[in-house]
Amino acid sequence: MELKIALAGNPNCGKTTLFNDLTGSNQYVGNWPGVTVEKKEGKLKGHKDVIIQDLPGIYSLSPYTLEEVVARSYLVSEKPDAILNIIDGTNVERNLYLTTQLVELGLPVVMAVNMMDLVRKNGDKIDVAKLSAALGCEVVEISALKGEGGIAAAEKAMAAAQAKKAGELPHVFTGSVEHAIAHIEESISGKVPNNFLRWYAIKIFERDSKVMETLHLDAELKAHLEEHIADCEAELDDDAESIITNQRYAYINGVVDKAVKKKAAKHSLSTSDKIDRVVTNRVAALPIFAAVMFLVYYIAIGPLGTFLTDWTNDVLGTAWLVDIPRGWLEGVGCAGWLTGLICDGILAGVGAVLGFVPQMLVLFLMLSILEDVGYMARVAFIMDRIFRKFGLSGKSFIPMLISSGCGVPGVMASRTIENERDRRMTIMTTCFVPCGAKMPIIGLFAGALFGGSGLVAVSAYFIGVAAIILSGIILKKTKGFSGDPAPFVMELPQYHTPSAKNVFHATWERGWSFIKRAGTVIVASSMILWFLQGFGFTETGFGAVEDNNSSLLAAIGGAVCGIFAPLGFGNWQSTVATVTGLIAKENVVATFGVLFHIGDGVAEDDVALWGAIAQHYTMLSAYSFMVFNLLCAPCFAAMGAIKREMNSAKWTAAAIGYMCGLAYLVSLMIYQFGGLITGEVSFGLGTVAAVLVLAFFIYMLFRKNKYDDNRLTVSAVHAAKVVTR
Amino acid sequence: MMPLAMAKTGDTVTIRKVTGKDEVRQHLAELGFVVDGTVTVVSEIAGNLILQVKDSRIALDKTMANRIMI
Repeated sequence: MELKIALAGNPNCGKTTLFNDLTGSNQYVGNWPGVTVEKKEGKLKGHKDVIIQDLPGIYSLSPYTLEEVVARSYLVSEKPDAILNIIDGTNVERNLYLTTQLVELGLPVVMAVNMMDLVRKNGDKIDVAKLSAALGCEVVEISALKGEGGIAAAEKAMAAAQAKKAGELPHVFTGSVEHAIAHIEESISGKVPNNFLRWYAIKIFERDSKVMETLHLDAELKAHLEEHIADCEAELDDDAESIITNQRYAYINGVVDKAVKKKAAKHSLSTSDKIDRVVTNRVAALPIFAAVMFLVYYIAIGPLGTFLTDWTNDVLGTAWLVDIPRGWLEGVGCAGWLTGLICDGILAGVGAVLGFVPQMLVLFLMLSILEDVGYMARVAFIMDRIFRKFGLSGKSFIPMLISSGCGVPGVMASRTIENERDRRMTIMTTCFVPCGAKMPIIGLFAGALFGGSGLVAVSAYFIGVAAIILSGIILKKTKGFSGDPAPFVMELPQYHTPSAKNVFHATWERGWSFIKRAGTVIVASSMILWFLQGFGFTETGFGAVEDNNSSLLAAIGGAVCGIFAPLGFGNWQSTVATVTGLIAKENVVATFGVLFHIGDGVAEDDVALWGAIAQHYTMLSAYSFMVFNLLCAPCFAAMGAIKREMNSAKWTAAAIGYMCGLAYLVSLMIYQFGGLITGEVSFGLGTVAAVLVLAFFIYMLFRKNKYDDNRLTVSAVHAAKVVTR
Repeated sequence: MMPLAMAKTGDTVTIRKVTGKDEVRQHLAELGFVVDGTVTVVSEIAGNLILQVKDSRIALDKTMANRIMI
């Protein structure tokens, strides 16, 4: 018979590490609370008929956060055969708060005290037998990170599941509360499964709205139960929920006093705390943060990154990936058009994407190390007070950092933001950060028209950051985003030396989402593009065209390019480049290469391409085009990520529409106002439109926030409803 | 009684009362902020705090820290 064992525990207690250990799978582990949002399952190594279910990290079984709702509904409705409760041995007291609730579910529970290696190192002692007796479940010591005891714990849970026997329930509450609960149990007996009786009774006592909804009790019974609860509240002079919480902690306190002996004095500062004293210091926090970020980007984009990119582009991307196959194909007498399709269409397209991989992997490696060490969680704390000023939370910062490498993992990283509104706002704005693939566009125009000035790249980052800040301020005043950002509450993990396995895993996971595109979307789009620009209708009918001005692509581009005329780039080549930029931003450069007859696989520093660009663009129209491409809808892969994370067609459309709209309006203002100053455009309809747009932006930025008065905090409960619908 | 946000770095204080809406109080309780429990202020930036509570470190912003009375 198949057995299901659920892993439950606090966030960051080592559940996912244990899950990987038990199932041999390779789930990504972050030193960052909230890594598991969905449930994951796997087979126990060596036991084909045992399913291990990894649940999100939770602090309790109350219905206040999305994770808790997911975990709780799984435990109550799916009824796993046993629960393996992982607790952090260095923080027994807080972790047991969940344990006292898990045992009440009436399912067999085995408790695994994790991080025993750290406990021993700290010189602390945990009396497992006493814990076991006090909580009515078996207790084993494990160290998931070192791979000690995990399998033994799972086997204990299997045995418990086969025995189907839940432990003796501890008497957590005092007389009058137990009395009221007993009354409730009696009244609802028969209405709920017998072994869940106590759990339901306690939830009713707490007036848990979700549980009340599912039970459909009649009004008379409800009133009767309410009397018992109110009596108890009056007696203890507190509300029911607090009574339960406080008594749980009081009980746990007693247990911990007996079972856990700490070497260090209570409230003495741990090494982690001492590091925090410095790193999150009021004065030093920001300078330290700036120095760390400078180092990260210097290594990733500086000499090392440039070297890696050049090597991949010139040697791997062009010489090996394109020229060698071309030699072979020509050698075996392959048809010219097929060689062209394979080499110029597919391989050059893929090679262009691969060029960014090394730089991106270096950046992700750095960020993964910072995350695994525990610094990223502190960054969220440090940045919170700044981000709060424009409607975002400190947790929005990490997605933005990652987006500077690639928007896809950046958007995915927004998952750790619990508040739905903050998460949506982060997803909508995080792609404004210039990603690695947008760098070639910047490089191209900086080289062609601005004499290679580094200021162009700096201004691109500046525009990206400004777009985020202004969007935050503007969106916060709209109905969908009204209200204060959710309060910042976050558990900070202990600092620890990074584990090579974790760091490489995280780096790979993020880098892979980028590389995967090279093999899928980009191959397909390169082929389509190659076809569209190489074929068209001529006097002799449909066929291959010499001059791509008469290609299908030119015809399509020419039909819609008019809408970009007010932005200064109404030629069909720009339109086509923008569209191919949606496939992948770095395609823009390659597309110009093809369209201006320079050849495919050109680099952004190709002098011939610079000349062609300089002919077709002025400094102003080039800058306008660049800004439009930086801010408008990201590539398809990132749009896919946005759709997955938004989990709503409406919000996906809103996000992409917002980005495109903002890009259009900003570029319009740049070209029209800039043109007036340089004399490039004369006063006309476009200017009027730009003035109106500017006035609109100023109004949106400075209007009074009419939602300020009723600061509704969209609760996590509400968010959960939307998602589970 | 005063709000926790006013405590100084390094202070260890006892919680007297937790105010605010039920769900906020409940969430704070889950994290270990309960009446009569003790917390140590590890670090403070502009009213945002890093606190040591029940052997874990929790970061709280000023609005949350103001709900905990000491």
